[in-house]
Amino acid sequence: MPLMEIVDLQRHYEMASGVVKALDGINIDIEEGERIVLLGPSGSGKTTLLNCVAALDSPTAGSYSFDGKDVPRENSEEMTTFRRENIGYVFQFFNLLQDLTVLENILLIQELSGERNKDRALELLKLVGLEKEVDRFPAEISGGQQQRVAIARSLAKSPKLLLGDELTGNLDSKTSDMVMEVLVKACKAENITTIMVTHDEKLTNYATRVIRLDSGKIISDEKLDN
Amino acid sequence: MSMLLTKRLARSLWRTKLRLSAVVFMVAVGVFAGISFGSYANAATTLYDEIYDGEDGVNLADVWINNPTGVWDDSTSESICNSIDSQWPESDYSLETCEARLVIDGMMLTTDSEGVEKVIPAVWHGIDEGLVDKVWMPTYSDLSSGRIAEASDEIVLDSHIAVDLDIDIGDEIDIGAGYGKFTYEVVGIGFHPMHLYFATEGSTLPADDGTFATGYLTDSGLEKLANLSAGSSNLILIDVAGTPDYDLQSTSDVDENPEMTKLVKDLSELMSDIDDSPVSVYDRSGVFSVEILRADAEGAANMYPYVTGMIAAIAGITIFLSLQRLIQSQAKEIAVLRTLGVPKKSIMPGYVIAPLVIGAIGSLVGTLLGIYLGAPGMLSFYETMIGLPIRLDTDFSLVFQIVSIAMLIVLFAGLRPAWQASRLQPLKVFRGQHEVKVSSRKMQRLTSKLPATVGLSIRSSLRKPVRVSFTFFAVGISMLLFGAMLFMMSSMEDSLLGGIEEKQSWDIQASAPIDGEASVIDWVEQKSGTYELMINFPIGLEDDSRELLSYGLDSFSTVDEKSSMISVEMLDGSMPIAGSNPTQVLIDEGTSEFLNWDTGDEVTIMIGNTAHTVEISGITKGEISRTMYFHRAELSDLTGVQSTSILIQIPDGTTLDGLSDVTIGYSLKEDAIKTFETLLEQQQQFVQSIQFLGIVIAIAVLFNTLLMNLAERDTELATLRVLGAPMSKLGKMMFWEHLGIGLIGGILGAIFAYFGTVLLIGSQVQWAFYFTIEPQFAATFTIVGIIVAISVALTPIGMWRIKKMDLVDKVKDFSQ
Repeated sequence: MPLMEIVDLQRHYEMASGVVKALDGINIDIEEGERIVLLGPSGSGKTTLLNCVAALDSPTAGSYSFDGKDVPRENSEEMTTFRRENIGYVFQFFNLLQDLTVLENILLIQELSGERNKDRALELLKLVGLEKEVDRFPAEISGGQQQRVAIARSLAKSPKLLLGDELTGNLDSKTSDMVMEVLVKACKAENITTIMVTHDEKLTNYATRVIRLDSGKIISDEKLDN
Repeated sequence: MSMLLTKRLARSLWRTKLRLSAVVFMVAVGVFAGISFGSYANAATTLYDEIYDGEDGVNLADVWINNPTGVWDDSTSESICNSIDSQWPESDYSLETCEARLVIDGMMLTTDSEGVEKVIPAVWHGIDEGLVDKVWMPTYSDLSSGRIAEASDEIVLDSHIAVDLDIDIGDEIDIGAGYGKFTYEVVGIGFHPMHLYFATEGSTLPADDGTFATGYLTDSGLEKLANLSAGSSNLILIDVAGTPDYDLQSTSDVDENPEMTKLVKDLSELMSDIDDSPVSVYDRSGVFSVEILRADAEGAANMYPYVTGMIAAIAGITIFLSLQRLIQSQAKEIAVLRTLGVPKKSIMPGYVIAPLVIGAIGSLVGTLLGIYLGAPGMLSFYETMIGLPIRLDTDFSLVFQIVSIAMLIVLFAGLRPAWQASRLQPLKVFRGQHEVKVSSRKMQRLTSKLPATVGLSIRSSLRKPVRVSFTFFAVGISMLLFGAMLFMMSSMEDSLLGGIEEKQSWDIQASAPIDGEASVIDWVEQKSGTYELMINFPIGLEDDSRELLSYGLDSFSTVDEKSSMISVEMLDGSMPIAGSNPTQVLIDEGTSEFLNWDTGDEVTIMIGNTAHTVEISGITKGEISRTMYFHRAELSDLTGVQSTSILIQIPDGTTLDGLSDVTIGYSLKEDAIKTFETLLEQQQQFVQSIQFLGIVIAIAVLFNTLLMNLAERDTELATLRVLGAPMSKLGKMMFWEHLGIGLIGGILGAIFAYFGTVLLIGSQVQWAFYFTIEPQFAATFTIVGIIVAISVALTPIGMWRIKKMDLVDKVKDFSQ
């Protein structure tokens, strides 16, 4: 059974100029352990798809299930619970809490999810190569290091699916590679499925599957041997 | 270009209308309060000037010579004035009038609704010539009417008691002064300069309705009442040419008119040459009614700019913080404009104009409310409190002054944010460096052992120390408004009610006619009661125009012992030992404070014109007036007076029949308590209005800051929501955060309120009215509780804000 099944997913927006079809009949089966890169031009619908998968946005029509269960789409608290229990999320601008140290950023998510586990947090920081930076504040480390903290944070509650929205968009090429290597290493170690939205073709080097979108439709879906 | 930028700023501000209206509200409240208090101050000053020095006023005397122990007969009275005229001291001031008057204590007899006779203590004046200290009957007020008394069976009744008892012209009243009851026809209703502030002698508080009476008869009318020969007097009024200043009691280190002080001293010496009576000679500062109205007018005039300034300062702080937040949220837009080549000078004006517009709108609203609501309300309250007719004139210079204060504060509040806006560095903004600030390492260490949620709450609350400090400062000021009233009312209740309920155990205080104590004592014994004799006598100071009121007591006890009918609360030292040499006395805390007298000091006092040395054995607390306690026998030796009143305790249910026949007058303890209770009740409405204002301002300030804190943390909170943080946990986090802010704000507010009130009261106390503020747990707890409640009550608003957050939009923002 696939980890996630998406059938004829649609997300339409009513605009003054008419209906905009951000997602227009998306069908994807996502298997456990896959590393999917979503590529496409601006407005192709990749972020909307990511938001629907993350239960941040509710599709207009279609069905999608996660681990055999329908993903909640109406009740915001159920959607939050779904995210808390299943989803990890990495943002382009890291979005670390500036008042907390590297370690505390991870502990916070654990506390909010109900279980604080300092050993696990330290283990994750070691996994992303930041075991020496645990007591630093985000502003005291580099962008690449911040993104690695964000990855560790997203793994803190052991999600089944990790989503990344342009997660290397704010990093230089060398740092991007370093971050992606850490991400792949961590996801392999934790057996986490990933979906990354990007404009950057180079990220396909780290993917096991590349899905290209345009105008809300899948235009190609290619499996790779990475 | 700049106009478009200003328009853009206006639209941005409009988006935060809730916060904007809170700021406008605060400016309006500042102006409203300023105009209301200012009108009160103006009215009090005008009233004072109009009555005492105006053409249609009372022609207030300049020097009074009072004989508290006896009465001069016709020839002595005449001889005193002749001597004063012929031996007038060398002075810049020439004698205009010397008028002998008779003023005696007595009673007014009425019957209540059940037909039971009621005795009201009274003071009766004989006014024949009436060139000085005239009865004031303003034609513009319906509180006065009729004419002065011309026949010996006519009386002008004081407006206060006439209003209280619903007595009108043509009514007949029964009055007495220890020699039977006489009926007089009321031919006029008016006010007298000695009783404009309508309080019984020795009391600093206005008498309650129907508990004190005064009236103004012809000389012959009063002589008949007091069984005295024609031409008797006990008060000489001296009027000099012009309206000289006099040494104010409120300024102990400055003599406003040394020439007048010298004249008083010279007249005092002259009196000791021409008469043996222990007279006291004093200028206007020694007349309680005059001094308290002057002090009230002066206090109000000094106070209102501060009240306006305080509230406007809160508004200024809120404007400052709001604009700073606005600039922070508009940083990217400003950076774009700067990158596109818009000069600094085009950015700045909008941020200067914005607070001015806010200030102008607030000032307009505040002015209208102040003129049409605040000032009339305030004056009506004042009129009710003191029972004097007040004329409301809108003073536009006052409005201008208040609005100017508010606009200046508002302008200054906007200058720094405007300067900051124009100085934003586009590159730093685009890199996000203008927002990112390394958190305090010390704070991290302090909170590192706490759960990350708690650590986050504490650190993010203190992230903007300037904002937090300003907020706490503003909350402190608003709590000063609230707390000052709370502390003052609690302390006043303790002082006034506690003073009589806890420290005094008599039921009746009676005045006997001269040498008539035995009849009163017989009456007490018939009623199986007990009594103590007491002397109240004015005590002068050497080379000082101020006076104390002495108490000669039969026995002394502390409030804990309560073995005497008047007990004292000791602050320092010990009870005076009878028979000591020099005579030992107690003084009150205020006297000690003003005269710098301490326990163990030997000091000189004046009784009449004779100097005496006494030793201070201790200092008492709680007395509002300046007081000196003696053993009665010792005070009697110094004054020649056996007693001035008799304190009586009678068994419950004892009727007072026959008491009015053997006394000049008497007052009941229950009436005194009622007076205090009524006064406190009257104050309640006013106090509650101020307290309400304080709370509303505190709500607005906290609301503004907490909302800004939340808005600033939108990204943070949205991130946590995206990462799956449940509302319940975020709500809990916010609750503890608000609780913490509330607790700190509340404690600081209480400290601010306490010390602010102490300073406030410290600046207002004076010789005639000394008052201390005690720290009180209940008041402190109330202040902390209110701030905590306001702060915590804002949690649901924060949660609602998070709940309505569009996470999709937020995620989109994260990528920009």
